[in-house]
Parts: sequence; structure tokens; C-alpha cells
Amino acid sequence: MTNLKAKSESRDDDDDDDDEAEGPDGGWGWVLVVALFISTSLVFGLMRSLGIFFVEFVQYFQESAQAISWISSTGLAAQQFFSPLGAALCNAFNARVVVMMGGFLAGLGLILASQATCLVHLYLTMGVISGLGWGLVFTPMVATVMANFTRRRTLALGLGFSSIGLSSFAFNPLFQLLVEMYAWRGALLILGGLSLNIVPCGALIRPQQRVKPPAQVDSESKSSSCGDVLRRVSSYLELSLLFERPYITYTLAVTLFNVGYFVPYFHLVAHSRQAGFSEYQAAFVMSAAGAADILGRVVSGWFSGLGHFRLIHLLSLWTGLAGLFIMLLPVSSLSGSYTALMAISLLYGFCSGALTSLVFAVVPMIVGVERMMGGLGLLQLIESGAGLLGTPLSGLLKDITGSYLASFMVAGSFVILGTLTMTTLPHYFSCTDPPHPQRRSLHDKDKGLHPELEQMNHKTAE
Amino acid sequence: MAASWKQLFFQILLLFICCGRINTETTGSTPAPLVPTTPLSTDVKSVVLTGESHTENIELLNPVNLSLECTWTGNPIKLPNITGFWRKDGNEIQNSHLTVQLENNQYNIKQVFSIVSEKDLGNYSCVFGNEVKVDFILAAPQITEVRDKPIVSYVGDFVVIECKMDKTKPMPSTWNWYRDNGTEKVQIMAAAEPGRYEIKNNEWETKLRVHNLTEADRGLYYCGAVYAIGTTMGQVKLKVITFLEPLKPFVTIVGEVIILVAAILLYERSQSKQTDRAAFPGRVENADENSTQTQSEDKGNEDSSSMRQRKI
Repeated sequence: MTNLKAKSESRDDDDDDDDEAEGPDGGWGWVLVVALFISTSLVFGLMRSLGIFFVEFVQYFQESAQAISWISSTGLAAQQFFSPLGAALCNAFNARVVVMMGGFLAGLGLILASQATCLVHLYLTMGVISGLGWGLVFTPMVATVMANFTRRRTLALGLGFSSIGLSSFAFNPLFQLLVEMYAWRGALLILGGLSLNIVPCGALIRPQQRVKPPAQVDSESKSSSCGDVLRRVSSYLELSLLFERPYITYTLAVTLFNVGYFVPYFHLVAHSRQAGFSEYQAAFVMSAAGAADILGRVVSGWFSGLGHFRLIHLLSLWTGLAGLFIMLLPVSSLSGSYTALMAISLLYGFCSGALTSLVFAVVPMIVGVERMMGGLGLLQLIESGAGLLGTPLSGLLKDITGSYLASFMVAGSFVILGTLTMTTLPHYFSCTDPPHPQRRSLHDKDKGLHPELEQMNHKTAE
Repeated sequence: MAASWKQLFFQILLLFICCGRINTETTGSTPAPLVPTTPLSTDVKSVVLTGESHTENIELLNPVNLSLECTWTGNPIKLPNITGFWRKDGNEIQNSHLTVQLENNQYNIKQVFSIVSEKDLGNYSCVFGNEVKVDFILAAPQITEVRDKPIVSYVGDFVVIECKMDKTKPMPSTWNWYRDNGTEKVQIMAAAEPGRYEIKNNEWETKLRVHNLTEADRGLYYCGAVYAIGTTMGQVKLKVITFLEPLKPFVTIVGEVIILVAAILLYERSQSKQTDRAAFPGRVENADENSTQTQSEDKGNEDSSSMRQRKI
């Protein structure tokens, strides 16, 4: 008993960051980082390299380029749309089962796509089924890794996400080789097999490592009335987050980032060619930006883990700089100097990589580690709208004005607007992190949520 | 009876042809005449050579009388007379030797060639003395876009082979497809086998579709862009494989996945068995219960708490 009381007192002392100080930080977590590395490369690295199949599909199905590009758009949209579903299923069941199912579906989608005889088949298999699989994989893996780290969270995420850049480098020549040897059907079949490697990654998640204890489920009445089912579903999906101002503000900021953030990757090569540089020079600029991106992810992950600055401030720094560099890109290339273009592209690549490590790590600071899974899912869903808006908008601006200047400017301004939105978060201008949201009792009915914390509070009040 | 109708028909036809020739001007493109009654147009290409050698690419569409001129500024030793001659495809053209005078500090050779058909195309060189030469490469427009790597497809599937001509170049009058059957090129007649072959010509591009592929279909295919002067060829190699080919690496990868998953699960089971044996009798691993024992180690995060055993 005395031990317990002493523990509770010490816990009251570090009220602000007791979760952070005593949370897990390493051990099996590093194994999960490897799993995140592999699964992210097989999800996003694969998605980015699907362009290789573009030419093959256009020739085989005799369809327009736009119809073919809908395949990857459907895949990405499905991945983001089904993210809340993945989060909810993890809350309801086991993250391990969800990720393994997701890996299986992703592989199945590609395997079925190898047998496609018309374009609609590809939309359904490569788009919907694989996209569903990818959605069930990404959010749970990220949430699980974040749950296993506290201080080194951003470094773990940075290392995990660096796989996207590295795998795009590796997958492009690999896919090219597969297509040359086996045509697109065989290549898709083999890619389906490769995607199945996500299943062992999911198997690495230990069953005890549940982010959200399902205690509250058991404590509620077992009747399957409509209201109860709806309440449970909404708690799995964390729909209550949609009514909280900090979360909405942050989601809005991330959505604004997404509108502008991808634009340079799509248009940089075309813009460099238009500015008068050769094909090789333009491609080299892209590769250099990609390499800076990878470096930025890891460095920013490591640096923010040192704890000198608040994550939210670092994120604002990187996003503000990224927006600035996006706006400077057309200016530098119009001046005609290759070194200027290269320098700005490197800086942009570094900043855009740096911000990706932090974007997800800030979520648990806003919503609490408990609701992180659902928070991430909803975030992915809402930011998907931005992706659908961003690239067509920039393409439209280019068609109207004839040069990429306007689209880069607009993209950069969206990113800066997102940064400004973030400044409206509560406690933004304080030097230390605000009290963890977990402390607040959010639901009246969820008595079972923190039984031990409630008891502790009662004890200290005595 | 039929013979007299035929005769009448031919006479009327000849009448129309002659009248047509008298009345109409020959403007625009005329189809290649069976008997070249209209004279060939003349074209002049001249090159001034400053260095050791020069290559000039000339694109021809129609039969033409081409006048090729070479002008050489000469070397420091300016001989008053040198010999010049012409070569075609590396072989000296008979009776083409000339003695060239030095005029205005230049040597000049000129020759008119009648380019009528494909065999007249090639590499014409004018040679000064024995070292200095200018190459004129006469060719029909070359096909710009054709796949250089082999096209791969599967047995039972279909394949689309494409050839494209750059829109900046002149439009071919038609496209033909040929297959290499070992010794020569055989033209593919889509009409003869409608279920198998399908040719779609679209001015600057052509597409050949081969259905129901079999292993016998593999080999070289040629697309030919037809111009009045000749046909330029593009070559595409087709490979036909069965589905067993990609299945082999696929099965290997699936096997590796299954082995990995089994290994991970077995490792975990053996680990948990060890910790189960070493655990406290009343200790619960999952922090779901509201027991006092789990109070001390419960946080928002769960971790593999088999290591941290808090004693109460």
C-alpha cells in the first residue's frame, strides 16, 4: 500500500508529461520500425512507381492517358478513404490481424489485376481492393509504432518514412525490369507477391500492444440496440474528435499542406524543361530533391527527438520553409541559373521530408495517445480531399496561364496558409507542451476508460 | 460478247484519261503514274566543305532528279587540277571521274542523279582527290517511334504493336506490316485472317493487333511507312511466353512470406511459453482488468511488459 501511495505521489509530481517520461522507448519498438519501413515502402513506394505501368496500359487497353491515371488516383483515394475503417477495426479488434488482412488484400488486388481484361477490372482490383488493403495497413502501422515510442517517436517515424524515398529509387528500375521480362501481367503478379510481404510485417505486432484498451467496450451494456451499436462504432472511429477545435484546426492545416505539398513533385520536371534545361538536368533535379527528402526525414526525426523545441514549433518551421521554397522554385529557374534551381530544390526536398516525420507525431499530442489511432484515420480521410484538389488545380492553372509560375505560387501559398492555421492551435505560443489531453475526462459515460487513474485521483484527494 | 464490252470499256477509259490530262492542271499530289509521262521535278542540294568530311541527311518522298553539288575550299596546297569522283554506298560509280579546276579558290563537283525507286536511295559521296569527301545520305523519312525492346505477351492473349511517325515529318501514304518467316519479309494481310490480325492506320501511326497468340507468333515484325520513293521499315521483336514464367518467382515469394509468418508466430509462441512459466501465478499480462496489480504498470501505452514486473 505504501508503495502504491508513493508511486501515485511521484506521478503527481510530473503531472505534465508523466506519459512521456515513463513510456516505452525502444526494444521491440525498433523491430516495429523495420516493419513500418518495409510496409510503407510496399504501400507508398509501390504507389509512386506505378507510373511504369502507365505506358503499357495505354498501349494494351488503347485508352486515354487520363483514364489510365485514374487507376492510381483510385488506389490513393481508397487508401485514404479506408483509413478510418482500419483505425476503427484496430480499436475493435487487434492491430496485428488488421494489418495482416490489409497486406493480404493489397497483394490480392494486384494478383487479380494481372488477370484484368478491361480497364474497369483494373479500377476495381488495383484501385479499390489494393487501396482497401493499403488503408488497413498504413494507419495501424503508424499508430502502433507511435505507441511504442515516446521521446524517440519522431526518429522512429522519420526512419520508417525514409523508406518511401529509398524504395522509389529502387522500385523504378526493378519494375522496369519486371515489365520487360514478364510484360505487365507477369509484373503485376510478382508485385502482388511482393505486397504479401506486408503480412509478416503485421505479424511482428505483438498482440498485447494495443493502443486503446477495449475496457470501455466491456463495461458498456451488452445489448445490441441501435444506439449502443452506433455509439460503439463512433467510439471506434473516434468521431467525437470531429467536434473538438484543436483537432479540427490541425486537420484543416494538414489538408492545406496537402493541397500544395505534392505539386512540385508532379510539375518540377516539366517546369525545368520549360525553363530551358535538358531532360537529364531536369531528371537529376528531381532525384536530388528526392535524396534531400530522405535525408530531411531522418534528420528532422532525430532532431525533434532531442526535445529542444516543441514539435509543433518545428513543424511550423518546416512547413513555412517548404511553402517559401515552393514559391521560390519558379523564380529561381526563371533566372536561368541551374545552380539556383538545384539549391532551391534541395532545400525544398529537405523541408518537405522534414515535415512528414512530424505531421503524424503531433497528432497524439493533440488528441492523446488513446485516441491516436482513430485520429490518424480521420486525418487521412480528410486530407485525401486535398490531394484530389491539389494536382488538378495546379494543372488547370498551368493550362490557363501557360507557365508553372502561378501553380507553384498558389501551392506555396496554400502551404503557408496551413502553417498560419496551425498557429491558432491552443497553447501554440507557450514554450512547453500543454497538459496531455488524456488528463481531461472526455466522456461522461466512459467510466471504464481510466479506472486506475480515477482511483489515483481519488486517493491523492484524500 | 464480253470481250467486245471490255474493249469498249477500255477505249472509253483511255479517252477519259487523255481528256483528263489535257484539261486539268497537275496540281497537288498525283498518284504514282503507271508510266511516268510527267517529268520528274528537280531538286538541288549543295554543300560547302570546310573540314575533312561532312555528312548531309536528305529526306526524300517522291521520285526526283536530284542535283548534288560539292564545293571544297581546298587545302593550303592549292593544286590547279584535282580528280573528283562519285561513290554510291561505298562503290565507285562508273564513268564519274572528273578533273576539277580551281575556280575562285574553290573546287566544284556537280552531278545529277535520277532517284526513282528504293534502290536509288543510299549513300552518295563526292570525293575530292582521294581523302576529302561529302556524304549525302538519301533516305525516305525514318520511323521515329518504334519499340526498341522486345514486346512480351502471353499465349492466348493479344498484343498491340505500334509504329509512329513524327508529325513534323511528311505523312506516309499508307502503312504495311510484314513478318519475318526466316528468309524474307511476308506482308501481313489483315483481311485474309480477320480473327487474328487487325491493322489500324491513322496517318502518322499504325497499330497491329495480333489475337490468340501462340508460341509460333514470336519473332520479328516490321512496320513499313510507304512513300512514293519507297518504304521505310521499323523493326519490332515479339516474345510470347506462357503464364508459367512469372509464376515461378511468384510462388517463390509466396513461399518466403509463409515461412516468415510461420517463423514469427512460432518464435512468439515459444517466447510467451517461457514467460508464462516464469510469471507470477496471479499476474495478468493484459492490462484490461481493474486489478490492483495492473494499476502500477498501466499507462495509456501498452508494451511487452513481460520485462517489467513490478512487485507489490
